[in-house]
Order: sequence, then structure tokens, then C-alpha cells
Amino acid sequence: MKIQTRPEPAPILALAGSMLLTLNASVPARSAQSAQSAQSIGSTAVTVLYLDRAETVERTLPDPTDLWIPEIELTRVNGFTLKPEGACLEDLCIPVSTEGADPILSSSGDETWFSLTAFARKLDQAFVTARGGERNLWSFSPIPVTQAPFFDRAMAPDFELPDRDGDPVRLSELRGSKVLLLTWASW
Amino acid sequence: MYEELKDQGLEIVAVAQDTAGEEAAGPFYDAAKATFTTLIDRQHLVSSLYDMVNVPTGVMIDEEGRVVRYDEGTYTRTYQAGNLSFGTDEYVPILRDWVAKGAASEYVFTPEQMAERLPERDPAELEADAHFRMATYLFERGEREAAEVHWSEAQRLHPESWNYHRQDWSFTPAEAGANWVRKFQSLEGKPYYAPLEKPAEAPPE
Repeated sequence: MKIQTRPEPAPILALAGSMLLTLNASVPARSAQSAQSAQSIGSTAVTVLYLDRAETVERTLPDPTDLWIPEIELTRVNGFTLKPEGACLEDLCIPVSTEGADPILSSSGDETWFSLTAFARKLDQAFVTARGGERNLWSFSPIPVTQAPFFDRAMAPDFELPDRDGDPVRLSELRGSKVLLLTWASW
Repeated sequence: MYEELKDQGLEIVAVAQDTAGEEAAGPFYDAAKATFTTLIDRQHLVSSLYDMVNVPTGVMIDEEGRVVRYDEGTYTRTYQAGNLSFGTDEYVPILRDWVAKGAASEYVFTPEQMAERLPERDPAELEADAHFRMATYLFERGEREAAEVHWSEAQRLHPESWNYHRQDWSFTPAEAGANWVRKFQSLEGKPYYAPLEKPAEAPPE
């Protein structure tokens, strides 16, 4: 199997395709690096932590510094969905492409891969890793741009958490009532 | 108090910032005979989303989902611990006034006033958040030593977060009290919580 550094003409990459017209078509360093170790594509399982999510992704691209997951796993990991206009979460869409110095998308055969780490760098999202032995963990901070409704307009961030019986409760279910949100701890 | 304010349309949502979950938080909910919504937040998700560094703290959210007062110590009275004092008896009257009067309450902040008061998140704080999340995950998996590495990093990167320190100390209970007093005294006049602002500035004409 060989990684292609140019995307197949698939609808999902429409944006990237159009950008080729204006960008220098040099091969991104990341893709070249991935191509060298293409035999073991998708061999390493990782667990991705984001907010209260902890999702295991079975296949990632071999890359010592960056985390590439199959594009189809994106929504499960961080809620974003790939659309023609970019990686989208509700009304927010972040342009992503296979081009540039730090590409977020990469194409390999029939599959599109998404770099969670390049995406994080683009959005000033922090991440840290814990690797070694069986352990391969990637922990991501909240994404600043997704917090703009709170920091700019004081909209209460929504969340869903389990009650004592384990049943999920979502804050926004209480719209229409005044809410006193209390955090506390036993410690 | 909740029964009285519930009739006036207030919902209370209590969220336990407890990595040890129901096991740690449950007995307190039982003791309080809590009739309001009681949630368990092992990862401190709410503190992270709302960028809050201490507990207990209260956020008042109006019917449209807007924050009208934020991150205030929700003590019902002033506590004295030796020569240290914390807490306030001023929060409950503010809460009552808002529940009764809504947006007309003199204690309510407009979205613009709130936005000015919300903290800026710097890169170090975000990195601390990622470390803290890593630590809670490792802890839940029983990997305490590995968790400790990330708890320490979170504390180093975001030393203002009481939550990061106190969750960590809770796993060495014998030292936790002394740790708290030491850090509390090191504030040297800086507030444990920001003082209550009351009333809110008059809304713009």
C-alpha cells in the first residue's frame, strides 16, 4: 500500500482540491514521512481524551510526533464532522486540507486520515501524551474557539453528566428555568 | 432553602468534582438529603468548561442559558478554622433576590459585564487542563504513579487552581489538611475566592 500525497477526487476533499489551484504543490513533509513506513498503516491503537470523552481508536498512521486517525473516527473522538467546508461542530467550521506546512488531512488509498495534533495546533488547543509499553494516550484540552459563546457572550457551556444512578442529565434540558449550578467536592 | 426557591422556578444542579466518583461524593449527597439534581463529574468537566479553580462555587444561569453571576464561593455562612476564615453569608441573599426579580435584580450582570469578568485562558492553563484530564483517566485505571506525574504538571502549569491541588491531596489524606493550610496561608492577602461584587454595576442606559 502506498500513501498518496495528493487526494483522490472525493467530495470530502472538495475544499482541499480547490486550494491546490493557489497553493504551491510541494509535497507536505508529513505525508512523505508517513509514506516511508506505509507497511504498518493503521497498526497502533490509541486512546484519545477530550472533555469527558475517552475513545479508543484502533488504527492510526505511524508517526512519531503526530496523531492521525481515520476521518470516519473524528466525530466519535471530538464531535466534529468533515464536510465540504471543513471540520464542523454545529455552526462552527474549520477549513482543513491536505496542503500547507502542517496539513490536517492526508489521503491513503481509499481512506482519509485526520491529524488531531495538526488540528490542535491550528486551533491553539493543548495536548499531551503518555506513551510507553501498552500505554498510548493522547489528552486534549478544550478547544478555545468552541468556548467563544461562553467567554464572549456569557452563554453557559452545556454538558451532560451522569446522576447518581448513572442516568445522563444535560444542562440545556433545564432551559426555561433559572439554574444555580453548584460545583463542590468531597475532598 | 431549595424547596422554597424551587417553587419560584429555581433548579439547583450540584456537580461533584470528584475523580473517585459516587464512592466519594455519594455519602455527602445522602447526608444533605439532596432533593435537587445531583451529578458526578469524575473528570472535573464543569470546572474545565467554566474555567473555575475552586469549590464550592456557584454559577447563576438564567432561563435563556446565559450566565448572570459566575464563580462565587457558595458558602451559606462564614467559617472559622483556627485563625483562618473563609466563606460568606452574603451569597444566599443575592441568590434569593435574583430568583425573585430575575433580570431586574440589582445583582445581575449583563452579558457584556459578564464577558468582561470572565477569565482569559492562557496556553499554560490549557496545557494544565490536558494534563489534569490525563491524570484523572490514569487514576481511574488504577495507575496512580503515572497519574501523579500529570497531576504535578497540571499544578505546576496552573498553580492558581485549588481544584488541581486538592484533588491530588485527597489521595494522601494524612497530609491534605496541612497542605491546604500551607497553601491558604501562602496567599498572603490574595483572596481564596474573588470577593462578591454587590450590587452589580447599574446596567447601561
